[in-house]
Amino acid sequence: MSVFSRSNLFRAGLGPLAAVALILVLHSGAIPPFQAYSVGLAGVYTILVLSVNLLAGWAGIWSIAHPAFFALGAYFAAYGSSHGWSLEVVVLGAAGCAAAFGAFLGGAGARFSMLYLALLTLAFTMVSLEVMGQWTGVTGGDQGIPMEKLHSALGLGTLASAGTQAQYIAVGAAGVALAVGALARPSALRMRLVAAKSHPLAARSVGIAPEAQSALAFAVSAVFAALAGVLLALVVGFVSPDPFSLALAISLIAACVLGGAGTLLGAVVGGAYLTWAPTAAESVGVPQPILQGVVLIAALLFLPGGVVPFLGRALRRLSARTTAQPPTPVEATEAAPPVPAPAPTAPELLRVDDVGVSFGGVKALEGASMTVRAGETVAIIGPNGAGKTTLLNVLSGLVGGGRVTGDAQYAGKPLLKSRSTARRGLGIGRTFQHAETFPELTVAENILCTHRRVTAQHRAKAAELLQSVGLAPFADRRPAELPFGLHKRLDLARALAEEPELLVLDEPFGGLDAAERTLLARQIVRQQQRGTAVVIIDHVLDDLFAVAHRVVAFDFGRPVGEGLPGTILDDPRVRSSYLGEGGDGVELPRRDGLTRTAVHLTAIDHSYGGVTALRGIDLAVARGAVLGVVGANGAGKSTLGQILHGTLAPTEGRRTVDGELRSALVPEGRALFKTLSLRENLEVAAYAAGIKGADLRTRLEQTGEWLPPRLRERMGMPAAGLSGGEQQILAIARALMARPDLLIVDEPALGLSPAMVTEVYARLGRLAREGMTVVLLEQSLTRAVSACHEVVVLHDGRVAAQGEPADPEFLAQAEQAYFDGEEDAPMAAAQG
Amino acid sequence: MDQFLLVLVSGLASGAVYGLMGLGLVIIYRATDVVNFALASLATIGLYAALTLYDRGLPLILAAGAAIVVTAAVGLAARETVIRPLAHGELLSALVMTMAVSLIAESVISTIWGDQPQLFPSLVDGSVSFGDAAIPTQSLLTIGVAAVAMALVAYLFGRTTIGSAMRAVAESADTAQILGLGSQRIARVAWALGLGLGALAAILYAPRAGLLPTVLSAPLFRAFAGIFLGGLTSMYGAVIGGLTVGVLDNLAASYVSAGYRDTFVFSFTIVVLLIRPQGLFGVRAFQRV
Repeated sequence: MSVFSRSNLFRAGLGPLAAVALILVLHSGAIPPFQAYSVGLAGVYTILVLSVNLLAGWAGIWSIAHPAFFALGAYFAAYGSSHGWSLEVVVLGAAGCAAAFGAFLGGAGARFSMLYLALLTLAFTMVSLEVMGQWTGVTGGDQGIPMEKLHSALGLGTLASAGTQAQYIAVGAAGVALAVGALARPSALRMRLVAAKSHPLAARSVGIAPEAQSALAFAVSAVFAALAGVLLALVVGFVSPDPFSLALAISLIAACVLGGAGTLLGAVVGGAYLTWAPTAAESVGVPQPILQGVVLIAALLFLPGGVVPFLGRALRRLSARTTAQPPTPVEATEAAPPVPAPAPTAPELLRVDDVGVSFGGVKALEGASMTVRAGETVAIIGPNGAGKTTLLNVLSGLVGGGRVTGDAQYAGKPLLKSRSTARRGLGIGRTFQHAETFPELTVAENILCTHRRVTAQHRAKAAELLQSVGLAPFADRRPAELPFGLHKRLDLARALAEEPELLVLDEPFGGLDAAERTLLARQIVRQQQRGTAVVIIDHVLDDLFAVAHRVVAFDFGRPVGEGLPGTILDDPRVRSSYLGEGGDGVELPRRDGLTRTAVHLTAIDHSYGGVTALRGIDLAVARGAVLGVVGANGAGKSTLGQILHGTLAPTEGRRTVDGELRSALVPEGRALFKTLSLRENLEVAAYAAGIKGADLRTRLEQTGEWLPPRLRERMGMPAAGLSGGEQQILAIARALMARPDLLIVDEPALGLSPAMVTEVYARLGRLAREGMTVVLLEQSLTRAVSACHEVVVLHDGRVAAQGEPADPEFLAQAEQAYFDGEEDAPMAAAQG
Repeated sequence: MDQFLLVLVSGLASGAVYGLMGLGLVIIYRATDVVNFALASLATIGLYAALTLYDRGLPLILAAGAAIVVTAAVGLAARETVIRPLAHGELLSALVMTMAVSLIAESVISTIWGDQPQLFPSLVDGSVSFGDAAIPTQSLLTIGVAAVAMALVAYLFGRTTIGSAMRAVAESADTAQILGLGSQRIARVAWALGLGLGALAAILYAPRAGLLPTVLSAPLFRAFAGIFLGGLTSMYGAVIGGLTVGVLDNLAASYVSAGYRDTFVFSFTIVVLLIRPQGLFGVRAFQRV
């Protein structure tokens, strides 16, 4: 299926065919002259709306500059016609000027967000309006200038303005423009534009530079708008500043929103709307702006996406009743084949030397060094916040605003200096933790957009690739229609599309079920057999170790150990980075046997976006107890915390509370309002809980006393200036402002120094002794054990172990459950 | 020199108007993620209502207060009916929606009050001599009133709990939700405040420009240039950006060319943004995967 396939040519032929039919009707004289003039104008406006519409829908650029390009074409034609310029000079000149300005706006605009781009293009139109008014020598000022005949230099004849010939040409040109649009639809150009628009970072990772795409798109769009301007001059026979006002810019955006951005038929609807809205308003008897406003509001409220996509969806829904869903492919779940060892002579492919990354003042990674040989698979492990993803981002050049130091060599050449879009060409493919695919492209297009030009051979190879990962039945679906597991496979397939030499995988096993994980392991082994080097990070350690040749462990942004998959966890530093340092032992309140239950969860299941986060959770939190919920990243802790807090409604199951229970959540990463002062952070929390006036002041005073002196002295400073530990204490204090009965703290130790961790835990213990019920969501088993009455270990969304730290048998069981879940299989068995 | 002083004061007076409108736009944008294109036409409704009341004998100062109340009330009604049903974070839909509201509002104004230019009374007349220059009192009043209004806004946001809450919602709507901060109430307060500032700017601007249904579209675009220059989410940026645009605008009109004042102002803004894409006072966000 190439761009020039039969079905595409058929679709492209529809526009010109309709135009020819319309011209024949016009020629027959069945339409009165004034209406014929309107039809000609509708042709002009269809081209103009098409230029704005496709730019908005495909490149995501909402331009207010198009009235200026429209004017450029019109004045070029009118001025040229009275100065003896030939038709070719007018067309090429107008197109060339528009392309140059458009490329500048698009290229400069790629640095800006949508709103800033709107201002940039608004400025362009404002300036053009002043130029039209002031440069009277060329534009004739407010008076305007007439449009004369245009002669062709190549002897193609003469174009007369303001007559039936001009109307035919406008209609014919609109048909041709629609055909060009129809041919561009299945092309790589559109796929790359849409990819760059919908996910710029992922687009860079497959070698698409958003700047170049938006410059190209804007230039092409500006050319179409300028040509529409030339046609406008021909149809009207006269050019003055009136039609090119800001009101036109607004009407154009309205026409696109109404018709549906990114659709060809939408442009026709929009062009007709622009042409006939004044007449329609007159016949209804309301002022035109009111009609326009009401239509726009109705479209936004009831037909989001526009008329054409809405009708398309309705039609598809009708036809979907008859066509059955494609069957989900049945997959064997036998174990993955053994991992092939890299050749002993395999050359070194990647060398990372003392690489560091800092964001502002925060060091996300420092002193990272490692090597990867061709065909070798290196796993990087470490707790949350260890700097693993940052290291992967260094490899694919996606560090954003971070500063990178150190050196990295890839295949003997320096890697860090090369642009992120060039790394795909070097042979580096990567996947993303949350499967960052391009939502507006089909599954097949997600693979094909990596090519600049799509050939039949590319299509065949993409189909083969989709077949090999089991996505072939879904080639024409959108990623959003796929379950999470297939979505991740698509991300992987895109990374594999050009047979990379180095495959970078960011948590590929996360969120997958057992069968999918086996399939993924098989895919990785297949790459290893091809001699591909793999760098892989994940929290699902047993799956990770099953495919890795070597493991590097990170903690706090630094490497802490290196070894074989079978022995790395024997390294005490590595083990303790997960399980935590032995805590000092927090003194806990004594519990009598008769405690009441504060919150009770019954049979809780929760899933979002195709991922099952929690399955079958039954949990009771006793009043006055400190309950630890422990698990690796992705085990479902934060979700459970939000459900306990009551802000997240579970998909299944029940939450019951004992009488009136006020709960407060300290979210992961503290989530302080960094621009607010310490006092304001506390005040806002009290305000949210409905505490006001004198009560608020008392509460503020009490909480102030609870804070350590260093914070108490800095109540007026912005919270951004606090250290991580101080921020954590303030976040807890903020939660206390609402006088909660239940305090849920998510990962309080994350990113803190050991001394600060001790301080934070001591404070939580003190709160418990004062009668607070505390739920601690913790990555570190050791820390939780030292600070809780009761510990629940989550693995893969299930309660894998539950018990009291005082029970020595429970400890061994909990440690086992932390890494392996409930199965009794010893870890060594997982290594093939 | 006296000429320059005159241009400078008149530039500051224009800038105060742009700054007030910009401040209104930024307050609404930060609290609700809506770029309120309808601010100008809603404030124009307020102006016409005030003129009607003034013609019926209401003192001007009360009529001005009525303009603020009417603008805020109509704006809140528009928000509740057409903006709120949109999904949160739909930047473009919300912007286009306010454009639609603006179209309707302008058309309603010309239907009720006509398209003919009308005079809007000044709060003060005459001029103050300063050396050889006679500075219109209206300009000084504009600067003074705007300064007081901005100081009050600074007090509200810096010293009161509701102000802190508005800043908190602006910084992170998610965290605000975890704390149980009612975002709708904050949003309404922000809209009323932003529209009130827009109406105040309109009252200060209208005596100089006369009253037309589209009288505020030019200052609205300059206020936009000002807030983009200042950084879109920064309230100080909106004021300083507005003042910069006002002064540049008047300097360009007097010393460069009266016909190319917008060209001058917008080119300057774009050049600054090309060098500093986040604006003068905006914060650059780190991108992370």
